[in-house]
Amino acid sequence: MQDWLKSKSILFSKLGVLIFAGLLAALDIGGWWIVRWFGNLRHLPRQNSLGILIALYLCSVFGWILLWSMWKLLRNLGRGQVFTEANIRLLQRVSLCCAAAAFICAMGVVVYTPFLIPVAAAGFMALIVRIVRNVFQKALEMKNELDLMI
Amino acid sequence: MEIRVNLDVMMARRKIQSGDLAERIGITPANLSILKTGKAKAIRFSTLMALCHELDCQPGDLLEFIDDAPGQGDH
Repeated sequence: MQDWLKSKSILFSKLGVLIFAGLLAALDIGGWWIVRWFGNLRHLPRQNSLGILIALYLCSVFGWILLWSMWKLLRNLGRGQVFTEANIRLLQRVSLCCAAAAFICAMGVVVYTPFLIPVAAAGFMALIVRIVRNVFQKALEMKNELDLMI
Repeated sequence: MEIRVNLDVMMARRKIQSGDLAERIGITPANLSILKTGKAKAIRFSTLMALCHELDCQPGDLLEFIDDAPGQGDH
């Protein structure tokens, strides 16, 4: 059972990426209605709702780049290409996307204060991915050196 | 300062081809080439042992320490 789970681990991760892609697509399609409903619920002024909508769609752009990078990373891992320059670049891109989303949400704090929560979440995520990227960088250096050990 | 690999000299003395030696010691010709050209960062004891066995020599015949740093070791 554990071996089966191990062998399907990348497949499950890919499934997770697809689920998030579906959620993001739903958010993109229904963004206008969701923000309008949310604005009515919280009694937000119209310009604030517009600010939230702009932040949502700007974050969505980076969300798609992030999901596409993660998909490519998982595809490389599935092919057995783990510690490579390409994967390090992909992780860098994921980290930058998280940082960009945090920055956009930080701008959004002006129109809606609870945006501070996604700022902290995305910022922390960017930091975690950056550390993973550093680990990959070191591992690549070690692998290159090990390749020259005969 | 460097460690020079004199594998090509020893191979010429024993009149053995790279492909044959690589096969006998169980490494790829590409890795043997890395070793011969001095690009290797390290050599495993098992590889060195196999090389010495096949070439009928001592590790000192294959590896040479070149001390070109001025002043070091002078007393």
